[in-house]
Amino acid sequence: MNQKVFAPWDDPNQKPLIQFQNVTKKFGTFTAIDDLSLDIYEREFFALLGPSGCGKTTMMRMLAGFETPTSGTIRLSGQDLGQTAPNKRAVNMMFQSYALFPHLSVWENIAFGLKRESKDKDAIAARVEEMLRLTRLGKFAKRKPHQISGGQRQRVALARSLAKSPKLLLLDEPLGALDKKLREETQFELMDIQEKTGTTFVIVTHDQEEAMTVASRVAVMDEGRLVQVATPADIYEAPNSVYVADFIGDVNIIEGNATPDGDRVRIDWAEGQPAIWGTAQKPVASGERISFAIRPEKVTISKEKPEDRRNLLEGEVIDIAYLGNISTFHVKVGNGQIIKAQSANTRRLANRDITWEDRVWLTFTETAGVLLEG
Amino acid sequence: MRRFTLIAVPYLWLLALFLVPFLIVLKISLSDYALSIPPYAPTLDFSAGWQGIKDLLSKLDFENYVFLTEDALYWKAYLSSLKIALISTVLTLLVGYPIAYGMARAAPEWRPTLLMLVILPFWTSFLIRVYAWMGILASEGVLYQFLSFLGIVDEPLKILSTNTAVYIGIVYTYLPFMILPIYAALEKMDDSLIEAAEDLGCSRMSAFWLITIPLSKSGIIAGCFLVFIPTIGEFVIPSLLGGSDTLMIGKVLWEEFFSNRDWPVASAVAIILLLILVIPIVLFQRNQQLQREAEG
Repeated sequence: MNQKVFAPWDDPNQKPLIQFQNVTKKFGTFTAIDDLSLDIYEREFFALLGPSGCGKTTMMRMLAGFETPTSGTIRLSGQDLGQTAPNKRAVNMMFQSYALFPHLSVWENIAFGLKRESKDKDAIAARVEEMLRLTRLGKFAKRKPHQISGGQRQRVALARSLAKSPKLLLLDEPLGALDKKLREETQFELMDIQEKTGTTFVIVTHDQEEAMTVASRVAVMDEGRLVQVATPADIYEAPNSVYVADFIGDVNIIEGNATPDGDRVRIDWAEGQPAIWGTAQKPVASGERISFAIRPEKVTISKEKPEDRRNLLEGEVIDIAYLGNISTFHVKVGNGQIIKAQSANTRRLANRDITWEDRVWLTFTETAGVLLEG
Repeated sequence: MRRFTLIAVPYLWLLALFLVPFLIVLKISLSDYALSIPPYAPTLDFSAGWQGIKDLLSKLDFENYVFLTEDALYWKAYLSSLKIALISTVLTLLVGYPIAYGMARAAPEWRPTLLMLVILPFWTSFLIRVYAWMGILASEGVLYQFLSFLGIVDEPLKILSTNTAVYIGIVYTYLPFMILPIYAALEKMDDSLIEAAEDLGCSRMSAFWLITIPLSKSGIIAGCFLVFIPTIGEFVIPSLLGGSDTLMIGKVLWEEFFSNRDWPVASAVAIILLLILVIPIVLFQRNQQLQREAEG
């Protein structure tokens, strides 16, 4: 395989398309964005992820030009966006509410931005047709927004914001109003369209699954700051903080005192419980308070005590969450802490051998978890 | 049966309070002037029964309508009323739209107060408010005193008893009817539509023309009809604020009834006015219907 991995953020020769440089945004006394710096590269599908009120929407509105930073600069292809009005930016936005013009047909909605550039009629018509094809809306061109379904409206909003071929497309919770099934389909459609058009996408979402699915990189935000910016795999496998580990997916956090031993670290986490062993990503001081984070699917559960395992915990099954394809077992270990373990349901439910109140053994490898400060 | 009773109530109401009076006026308009009480002939003789009705119908004619076409006063009054109503509607729209727009853009906690302020004048009698304008606009009235205090004018104003005073009175009186429907339309509008328009390359101004105005169209149309329809037949404002040259059909109608005591001609004037009003009323209903369909 000689396929080049798309990772412009690792290439020092790449010029970022968007640069946030020490950007702060205050609303009165409330700091929405706190001294934030970030580079986003061309052709990226970049996700801003965080709980509501974390500042992700403010970031997007600053890119669109609806808000201006209190201090710091935002550059687009090296040029300071400064006070540039929204209508003068090569940036288009797809609104959470879609903001389709109710008095205009689907066709006219898509043509709206093109007409403002006063292109000739044939060029506009050709571009609108192209967009209708791209979003499979041809049949609905003459309908008004209230005459089509939610999913179709979402595609009209996408087509309208893509019609002007912006350098950067902003998507504010683009799939929030769709039901789960349609949302999953549309995620792949979005990725497909992003690839076809080669446009840089910045998506704002609070749905971590959505961010993981579509994005080339994910920025996890909290209280106006970036907590971690990395690929979905790194965010999941190597979170840099308890906040990220906890926000993305399901996780067990075990707190304890660290004792380094070569490249391994021993964590004494509860009196009378065997210590657990992890692998240090960076040097750990002896006696440091540390959190060991491990994903439930990396914890193996069994009724027989396995041999030759350094990380071995005994406990009792308290709860079982059956999700069809997988089951999550809530196991209470010695000191009362609940550890979650997941296993794939490769056998039919009736054949499951572990049930409530069973004594079970939990094991995991020394490299399965991550060590986090605090 | 219950459903029938329910539907019957509004129909009986319309029959008793609209259709019957209308037929009486129509009958009078087809009668002749007479020095009697009531001042027209013929009258229905109930004792004669069926024959009485036949006699009555045979004596009715369109003489009064023919008379209306012969005397230039009447069609001039109709035209003048239409013109005054049209100009007043445009003026009210020009004054009312910015007010409605400002209200819809105000902070949500202020909107009920602003709405209240628009409705507040209705708590005072309409007549008293028009009389108040007489005091304001009089040649040495409140407005004159204020302007001369500022040194802007040095001779008495010539506003009262002119068409200008009539326009001021109409715009003032009917302003809430213009503001409320436009406000209702603007308030429903999603702010992100304007942002979307700007995002797609519109300036503030073109976003207003291309998005805000079309989306408040139904409110504008409703407001214009609500001002235009009653203004055509307006009688109080032109008689109190207008001068002898202010020609409006409502005033003519009043004079025919009460000064000339010519009920048949006055009724004919009223019937024609009603026919003129039917057109905008039907158009108004259609607009409301279309709006409901668009929203449904």
